[in-house]
Amino acid sequence: MLWIYLHLPFLLLEHYGQSLPEPRPMATLQPGSQRILQANPDALALGVRAGQSLATATTLAPALLLINPMAGDHQRALEQQARRIYQLGDFISLYPPDGLLLQSDNLLRLYGGLQNLWQKLQQTLASQGITATLATGTTPGMARLLARAGLGACTDDTAALARQLADLPVMQADFPQQVTERLVRMGLRKLADLQALPGKELAQRLGPATLHGLQKLQGSRPDPQPRWHPPARFQHAMDLPQEAEQSAMLLFPLQRGYQLLEEELRWRQQAVEQIQLRLYFREHPTECLSLRTTTPEFRADTFMTLTRLRLERYALPAPAIRLAIRVNHFLPRDTATQATDLFQNTPPQQQAWQQLIARLQARLGENALHQLQLVADHRPEKAWQTTPPAAPAPTQPLSAPDLPRPLWLLPEPQTLTATPAAWLAGPERIQAGWWDGTQIQRDYYIARMTSGQVGWIFRDTQGDWYLHGWFA
Amino acid sequence: MSYAELHCITNFTFLRGASHPEELTSQAQALGYSALAITDECSVAGIPRAWRALKHSAVKLIVGSEFQLRDGPKVILLAENRHGYAQLCQLITLARRRADKGHYQLFTDDLFTQTLTHCLLLWQPDHDWTQDLATGARLIQHFSTRCWLKATRYLAANDSQRLAYLQQLATSLQLPVIASGDVQMHCRQRQPLQDVLTALRHHCTVAEAGFHLQGNAERYLRPIKTLQRLFPSPWLAQTLVVAGRCSFCPSELRYEYPGELVPQGFTASQYLRALTRQGEQRRFPGGTPVDIQALLEKELSLITELGYEPYFLTLHDIVSFARQQGILCQGRGSAANSAVCYCLDITEVDPRQVDLLFERFISRERDEPPDIDVDFEHERREEVIQYIYQRYGRHRAALAATVIRYRPRSAIRDVGKALGLDLGLVEQLLSGLDWRDRQDDWRQQLLTKGLVRNERQARQFMTLVNMLLGFPRHMSQHVGGFVISAGPMSELVPIENATMADRTVIQWDKDDLESLGLMKVDILALGMLSAIRKSLDYLRQRPGAPHTLQEVPAEDPATYAMLQQGDSIGVFQVESRAQINMLPRLKPATYYDLVIQVAIVRPGPIQGDMVHPYLRRRAGLEPVSYPNDALRSVLGRTQGVPIFQEQAIRLAMVAAGFSAGEADQLRRAMAAWKSHGDLTPFRDKLISGMLARGYEPDFAERLYQQLCGFGGYGFPESHAASFALLVYVSAWLKCHYPAEFYCGLLNSQPMGFYSPSQLVQDARRHQVAVRPVDINLSDWDHRLAHDVSPPALQLGFRLIKGLSANSAQRIVESRPPAGYQQTRQLRDLAQLSRQELETLASANALASIAGHRHQARWDILGHDHQPAPLFVADHSGAYRVTENAVQLPPPTEGENVLDDYHSQGLTLRRHPLALLRGQGHLRHCLTATALQQAETGRPVAVAGLVTGRQRPGTASGVTFVTLEDETGNINVVVWLKTARQQRKPLLTAKLLHVKGILEREGQIAHVIAGRLTDLSHLMRQLQISSRDFQ
Repeated sequence: MLWIYLHLPFLLLEHYGQSLPEPRPMATLQPGSQRILQANPDALALGVRAGQSLATATTLAPALLLINPMAGDHQRALEQQARRIYQLGDFISLYPPDGLLLQSDNLLRLYGGLQNLWQKLQQTLASQGITATLATGTTPGMARLLARAGLGACTDDTAALARQLADLPVMQADFPQQVTERLVRMGLRKLADLQALPGKELAQRLGPATLHGLQKLQGSRPDPQPRWHPPARFQHAMDLPQEAEQSAMLLFPLQRGYQLLEEELRWRQQAVEQIQLRLYFREHPTECLSLRTTTPEFRADTFMTLTRLRLERYALPAPAIRLAIRVNHFLPRDTATQATDLFQNTPPQQQAWQQLIARLQARLGENALHQLQLVADHRPEKAWQTTPPAAPAPTQPLSAPDLPRPLWLLPEPQTLTATPAAWLAGPERIQAGWWDGTQIQRDYYIARMTSGQVGWIFRDTQGDWYLHGWFA
Repeated sequence: MSYAELHCITNFTFLRGASHPEELTSQAQALGYSALAITDECSVAGIPRAWRALKHSAVKLIVGSEFQLRDGPKVILLAENRHGYAQLCQLITLARRRADKGHYQLFTDDLFTQTLTHCLLLWQPDHDWTQDLATGARLIQHFSTRCWLKATRYLAANDSQRLAYLQQLATSLQLPVIASGDVQMHCRQRQPLQDVLTALRHHCTVAEAGFHLQGNAERYLRPIKTLQRLFPSPWLAQTLVVAGRCSFCPSELRYEYPGELVPQGFTASQYLRALTRQGEQRRFPGGTPVDIQALLEKELSLITELGYEPYFLTLHDIVSFARQQGILCQGRGSAANSAVCYCLDITEVDPRQVDLLFERFISRERDEPPDIDVDFEHERREEVIQYIYQRYGRHRAALAATVIRYRPRSAIRDVGKALGLDLGLVEQLLSGLDWRDRQDDWRQQLLTKGLVRNERQARQFMTLVNMLLGFPRHMSQHVGGFVISAGPMSELVPIENATMADRTVIQWDKDDLESLGLMKVDILALGMLSAIRKSLDYLRQRPGAPHTLQEVPAEDPATYAMLQQGDSIGVFQVESRAQINMLPRLKPATYYDLVIQVAIVRPGPIQGDMVHPYLRRRAGLEPVSYPNDALRSVLGRTQGVPIFQEQAIRLAMVAAGFSAGEADQLRRAMAAWKSHGDLTPFRDKLISGMLARGYEPDFAERLYQQLCGFGGYGFPESHAASFALLVYVSAWLKCHYPAEFYCGLLNSQPMGFYSPSQLVQDARRHQVAVRPVDINLSDWDHRLAHDVSPPALQLGFRLIKGLSANSAQRIVESRPPAGYQQTRQLRDLAQLSRQELETLASANALASIAGHRHQARWDILGHDHQPAPLFVADHSGAYRVTENAVQLPPPTEGENVLDDYHSQGLTLRRHPLALLRGQGHLRHCLTATALQQAETGRPVAVAGLVTGRQRPGTASGVTFVTLEDETGNINVVVWLKTARQQRKPLLTAKLLHVKGILEREGQIAHVIAGRLTDLSHLMRQLQISSRDFQ
């Protein structure tokens, strides 16, 4: 068997670098320390090295851009490349954080030889701006080590590959740190040195795992590889038998599509939150409509209801000829909302509430619906905010002091035109907000106006008077 | 109408108070307050500074403290008198000792169970009627007329209700009410900083802090007119009643010295005289010289006059203890190097040899206790500390605190945190900042590097950082400043827990102690004393050699000859590169030359441009002249150039007519000059004083500039004198008994300037035979092998990284008479783990029983995993040496060298550079030795391991690189421009190749770097793997 390993040494940095207008020195930091984890070629050229202190690195490369990877970034970057490689060959395995393994036996004929496949792989990665070192091997481990050591070649010469493996320094053989340390300290520097030792003695001293590892490299022990498949995605396209001139004419074919989607979701025990509808036209560019549910959803009926509401507000720019439903992300079904509260019977209520929100949003548009929230801030105009519906509760401390505040706060303070009839309370001095450039310093009073209404008024530092709200 | 503020915290209430005590006091003065109470939270740490500021003002200082009871309201306790102060200190001690460092715990019941009979209580009710009535009744019962209700007005929405409530409560309880500002800052403009501190306290950003922040900026020292608008006037008047009842002043804290050291039938003064007399006979067996007699008399009468006998008796007692225990120690500082201290054995500095400034010994005018530092062997200082605790009791002896303040780095970090700046970016900036640049420059850097988004934010950031700079951040433990009191310490100053278990510190730092006149003894640790004591111990094996400091022959020409060559690696104080370079230029030939040598290589003399004039005059290249005899008396010993701090002070007295006390103020101002001090007030007085005494204007100006140059970095002669003694002794040991010297030095590591590797190389260059670590020959410590003469240095297990002293102990104790024969036997007898055995194998310590290090490790890894039997017959027959079936290849020389470095940081084999040279890698490179013969001014190439990179603050932009090769050290000078262009090799190379020009200063050769090349990859060629060379 012949394996090809693709080592992507700068994967994460290049993944981020794609969004930069031009290359510049970049590095990632070791989590929780001020040391460099990895540097890209631009930074390497300036002398930045892994393990270096941030201070040294910054001195060497003052323009160094530091990347703070988020959890899952590595996996996403790797999967992105895996998807592309998957289009070339379907037996691939992921080696996080920065490697891909490809079983090439079935592909050689398809691509007309190793040479062509090799080139194809290189081109695919290069077109993405991803640096890769490739290697072949008769075992997965061999291909991997040779690729990581930068010793790979486009060859299927079994004997030559075995020689290269034997010549590999144990430092590069990916044994556990302690094993490597021991090997080196016994003068065993190449894999050949290990291969020359009696297996039993080796296993006794360095553990059976070391021997097994060596055997897997050599191919004298099986080394099954987990096969990777791209994460699921739903796409269903329908060529319309009859050009649709009104959006209502799309509903029927969509019904069928949603049923397929529901089937798929039931089978997977999953749900979706967002659906894309693509509409194709003869001469007009493709239109994309996006539907969003408030919680993960899987029923065709719900999708249909949302779609109906959405299409009511949508006018077709031209007769549609083709229609596609597409879902990019499947979500776990939110079992929590479906099955809580044995006694209070809230799930249906909760469900109804969410469905209402979803419908309102579908009809009015996503941005038309808000929810009010208190904010811990002394400034009255900053003491509340709007959030999207069903947003999580604020995490800030909200031990709001028990303060007299008007129920009706004016959107903007208005200049006070008349002298109040009676002063009821005050002053309450509020001075805050220097940190965001909207500092206020005001003395607030509660006063009865000549109209009889009770108002919240203040005087600012200039001595000007304003009305800021009405007490009910 | 006047007013007394009775509730005010300073920034010694960490992360709450937003003003320095001095800012609050001067604001209170400006506003015409009649009194100001400093009431930091469970602390009196802010008192000394406030007191210093208010000492001579009309504003009365009231000492108090604020407490948030765990189960009740917030209360303020004020000290009515000295008793009240003691009670307050004890309460704070109680609350602090209950909690971890930095925290406290106090409960309502404590107010009733602790003695607080002389404290006044201000009570801020909780606004829960039933609860408050109950609490009030209890408080009245205990404090009767010493209890007040405290009213505050923050201009909050509920102010009027709160006021009404308080009125009602006061009527019900029949309690008087006082007005209070609950002050946390001296002026309104501190609100942003206050908010930053609040955010930091709550571990969030200012924007996130929400209602943790105060709604306005009213907690400042308000003008009396404003207060009159806010409070009923009886409440304001009542503050004066309270202030009137507080009569305690910190100046009453007249310190009482411990008295138990004086035996019955003596007064302290008589006893000190008796001890001095005894010492005199020992020190001057041929009779005390007349001038020393006079000096002793002068010193003793001054000591008596100021009542400092117990201080000297205390030191004598501590030093005597150390001597009994064989712990080497030596005092330093102005008071230490006095004739009395010489007679009391506190110092070895002979008053005949050094002329010390009597005014700094003790000054009448300053009214401050003498200051003596005593250095002890660093490994045995703890014994001395324990002795002090034991002798005086933990309630009477405590360590002084050190106030840790915000420095630029911490201030930038914390303000950044509070403003929610990207912390990674802040760190990146901080690590990129060059702190030697002027302050304005790094401020500029902050702006240009885009940390902040806009001008407003930038201004805000910098303003806040500047305000926060110098703020106390927390209390830490002083390195060794002990305070010992006659009565319980906690009646003098509160005691709190330190981070270190079983350590307690008082709430005041060194400066506070000084200003309050408390005695402090500095118990410091000095590695060189350990090394010297050990070396002297080893000399007991050598007939005729000295065994004590006193027995070391004085003024030995061979020792000075060695130092004049710059051969001083390992010698105390003069072993740094700068010192080594200075030695051949200064050519010390007497003890006093060493005193100068110690003091001259310091930023003060260097920046004051005193080094070159001194050297030129010493070499006779420039005439020495004095404007008059008065100056000759001050500067005569240093060729007319001021070198020591004392000379600067005496100059001010002699040339400008300063009194001793004024001169001492100048010294303090100079010490503080670099940070925040200001010399300008002294400038006029200095210059006009000198002009009045007939000096030329430009001479006066030059002298003033020189004094400025001294800044905080002038080195006192009194310390240099003590250090010079140790310089001499260590140099003498190195010169005559190098094996013993290096052995003592290596056994006292870590200390000093050089690594064990550098010391061992230097030892071998001085013909000391060094033997490698061996399982059957080594102890934990290095030792001397006397089978040859002079003795050889047998390296010990302490050198091996990763081997504990305990394991080494087991190896030595279980060693059979014939030595270990086999690794299994070693494992069983010494109960060593597999990992420890591997460590030994890596260090090649098993070579004598298991072959080379590769084979030894293979051997060990082959051991069965059975636990060793509990009882093992100690006859080696049980461990037959079995022939190993597998024979591993022996390590190459290069591998051995690298493994030696890896396992013990040094090698006794060939130097890596010798190996590389042998392999032909370093053609055209001169060795350190060859460099000595090479022609000055010619281009050379050198290579070596980088053992040092320094950018001293005194040399603008120059980097000094030290390279080590098989023959010695090479000095490389890299100018700023070269450094900038070749940053990468300069900063990262472990093995560096330098092409440059050879230059000489006297005998010392430097290579002025041109091209730098990183040859670190060659280290890899010494072996095959790519292991990092450490």
